[in-house]
Amino acid sequence: MRGNPWIFAGRLWLGLAYAFMFLPLVVLVLFSFQKNRFPGFPLQGWTLQWYDKLFSDGTLLNALGNTMIVSPAAATIATAIAFFAAYAFNRFAFRGKTAFLALVTLPILIPPLILGVGFLGLLARIHLSGTLFAVFLTHVVLITAPALAIIQLRLSQMPVSLEEAAWDLGATEWQTVKKVVLPFALPGIFGAWLLAFTFSFDEFIIAWFVSGFQPTLPVAIYSVLVAAIDPSLNAIGTIVFGISCLVLIGLELVLLPLLLGKSENQS
Amino acid sequence: MTAATADLELLSITKNFNSFVAVDSVNLKVGRGEFVAIMGPSGCGKTTLLRILAGLETASSGQLYISGKDVSDVPVNLRSTRLVWQNYALFPHLDVGGNIAFGLTLKPYDKAVVAGKVKAMAELVGLSDFMGRKISQLSGGQKQRVALARALVTEPEILLLDEPLSALDAHLRIRMQGELRRIQRQLGMAFIYVTHNQVEAFSMADRVVVMNKGRIEQIDAPEEMYARPKTEFVARFVGTNNLFTGRIQEIGHDRVIVHCAHGQVVVMTDDPPPVGASVFVVVQADKLTPAPIGLAGENRLDATLRGREYAGSHNIYLLDLVDGTEVKMTMPQILPVEINRPVTAWFSPQNAALIRGAA
Amino acid sequence: MSSIDEAPPSRRMRTPNDSPLKVWFLAPLGLWLILLFLLPLLFLLWIGFWRVENFQAIPDFSLSNYTDIFASFFSKSRYGLAMIQSLWVAITTAFFATILSYMVALSIAFAVPARWQRLALLLAIAPFWSSYVLRLYAWQTILSRNGVINSIMRLVGLSDYRIDIIYTQIATRIGLIHYLAPILIVILYVSILAIDRVLIEAARELGCTRWQAFTRVVLPLSRFGLMTAGSFAVIVSLGDALSGNLLGGGAGTSIIGKLPTYASMIMSDYSSSTNLPRTSALATILIAVMVLALAVGFVLADRARRRIG
Repeated sequence: MRGNPWIFAGRLWLGLAYAFMFLPLVVLVLFSFQKNRFPGFPLQGWTLQWYDKLFSDGTLLNALGNTMIVSPAAATIATAIAFFAAYAFNRFAFRGKTAFLALVTLPILIPPLILGVGFLGLLARIHLSGTLFAVFLTHVVLITAPALAIIQLRLSQMPVSLEEAAWDLGATEWQTVKKVVLPFALPGIFGAWLLAFTFSFDEFIIAWFVSGFQPTLPVAIYSVLVAAIDPSLNAIGTIVFGISCLVLIGLELVLLPLLLGKSENQS
Repeated sequence: MTAATADLELLSITKNFNSFVAVDSVNLKVGRGEFVAIMGPSGCGKTTLLRILAGLETASSGQLYISGKDVSDVPVNLRSTRLVWQNYALFPHLDVGGNIAFGLTLKPYDKAVVAGKVKAMAELVGLSDFMGRKISQLSGGQKQRVALARALVTEPEILLLDEPLSALDAHLRIRMQGELRRIQRQLGMAFIYVTHNQVEAFSMADRVVVMNKGRIEQIDAPEEMYARPKTEFVARFVGTNNLFTGRIQEIGHDRVIVHCAHGQVVVMTDDPPPVGASVFVVVQADKLTPAPIGLAGENRLDATLRGREYAGSHNIYLLDLVDGTEVKMTMPQILPVEINRPVTAWFSPQNAALIRGAA
Repeated sequence: MSSIDEAPPSRRMRTPNDSPLKVWFLAPLGLWLILLFLLPLLFLLWIGFWRVENFQAIPDFSLSNYTDIFASFFSKSRYGLAMIQSLWVAITTAFFATILSYMVALSIAFAVPARWQRLALLLAIAPFWSSYVLRLYAWQTILSRNGVINSIMRLVGLSDYRIDIIYTQIATRIGLIHYLAPILIVILYVSILAIDRVLIEAARELGCTRWQAFTRVVLPLSRFGLMTAGSFAVIVSLGDALSGNLLGGGAGTSIIGKLPTYASMIMSDYSSSTNLPRTSALATILIAVMVLALAVGFVLADRARRRIG
């Protein structure tokens, strides 16, 4: 393969692509520590003033707090629902299974903008709109499908005989789910939770419609953003970026082996 | 054996998958402490039958008794049978000890009692030094022992084994055969052992069941099955048998003369079919010996040598009879005959068996 | 025969497929989806027919929202023009995003040693996990008139050349491509991975140049993945309002004109009027357009798949 110009071209393109993908993140982190009022060159020196401003102002931190309530809760409920459903989809055959699965996937295919309008209509009707609880309810709908897909992927790797062995040894169906299926699905559940959390954490438009006076972080950032350029956004961005990195490391450990079909603890 | 002393009794067990009949009115009694092997080609229904015994499948009709109690409707987790899987089906998230203890931890036993039983069982199967190992760190033979211990520790009445040794290499398989037999004798427990491997079935079992297309063809002790197959299928499936089709021509006081396409054959029998009945004569390949050409007498097979295979300890000779019937003859010595030259084989009337053919 | 023939009547017994868990385990998902997905969606369709009196939405069955919208579809309220702008932006974005992502996926699959591919893929999709709004904000600071790029140009003495694309639909597309690329790269990489390497080697063996092996083997076999990725990109771009609002400045210019995208317009229309019935009617129209776009995409993808099979 030595001297193959295509390989060189491919690597060059990959380098450009990485530069494009990471440019915004680099800019975000860099200028959160720079004195520049408006991000640009030349750099005007290092500072922590934007972090100070962020922590003294509190609007964005409040919103981050809201998000850190809503997203873990939504991810947890969605993952639980997804686990039980994935188990049932994996084990049982029944009429209308394909239609049911299609229905589960639909919330990802329908643009969140449309869902947002729909949720607002319904939730306003039952006086739930404008609350964090509304955001929680709607996010669960949105993030259950990806969680379900991940857990299903994991469960499909479970040999049928594993469950049968547990029944044969005297376990009830529920004991089997608890003692055999759940431990087996754990990496999938972990990956599903992280994925669900990320989706909810990042979701903007539904939250914009239904969150009202309790904005989640993306909504709060957006409202700061349409008003003016504020370098505290770089500061919160860097913090969010840190959280994402943690999620990413978690996912790298769990999700990619699942997606690319390299499962190590197959017996 | 009657139902009262039988550990297990199957009455007319049938299993349909839509229009496909996987198990067709099977009747079987297994005594206490008996080792029964169920054998047959793949798709013959042996595994389905085993799963019905375990409670993992439910029979479409028929009844199943264990120790005299009707358990046909008892769900899998309440049955007193345990299954050992071909792929072991060990729980990957538990260590060896955890796997063995699994069945016991489901019941409200005292922790010390569980630990004691697990320890004793680990000793029985030779796993005492591996209790903390992960399943992924075990060899095939060790996994097999864990699967066995996990099932036995719950003190089942009957142990069901689904081709448990098929994933092991030849040497290990023979060692495990001996050990399974030892453990079975020691516990005095009925083992029902499904396999497609004839050697395995014949060397371990007290009785062998041969199944074909969902039906039982024959149930007998290994030697009996080998020497006297009762159906054409069994004769062809078991061992290396030669089959001649023919009709009963004459009945003597302890023997019959069968008219076959290549000539007459004399067979010793106590229970002769009527004259004119269509039969198969079964002769094992190692019961054929060469006879000097021109020797007069019964059961001469005039043939042409078509080929020779050398199988290490013995030679397999392929012969064509005058009517084109292919015959196999095995013996340790070298036959001093060239290919495509005439050869005459011979067998004793005592070494042939009769099977009643289709009418 | 024996008494066995008087067989007991056949009975229905429990099978592994027959368990109460089937209902219990699917019920939470089913209920959640019905109450919080189907119901809102139906509600959306219904609210589109309500009318508004004294700033109050009144349940009704009137077509007034739709007649209002369509009466001025291509004129003053510019709904129709926004839809055309949206389709134009979405289709071009999808086109570029798919091609560029395909090149990345190809580079990972063929120009990166096998044991580094996972890392390469991971790096390419890493930005997906950081906040979309924040990434758009970062692009704003990069692309703006005195932003990162232009300040660097000035610094190196190229002040005569400045990029002036912020608040145009080009900027909108950059934001969208940045958002779409990680997802498309995964879709396309998986579809390239599914191609049997032996086919490529066989083509080379038969005398194909590398370029021919690509155009005659790899490209036809990844057509289905390309169609999937492309239609996904169209749908996402049609439904996205953020990039249009933040980078396109609401009503960004394109060769079609200085018009907002349809999604941006729904957002601004709602925040200025809070007229939910009209917003719902606008959203319903968007659903109709998307179903149409999906159907076209499906037909194309199906045709591509059949050509492979």
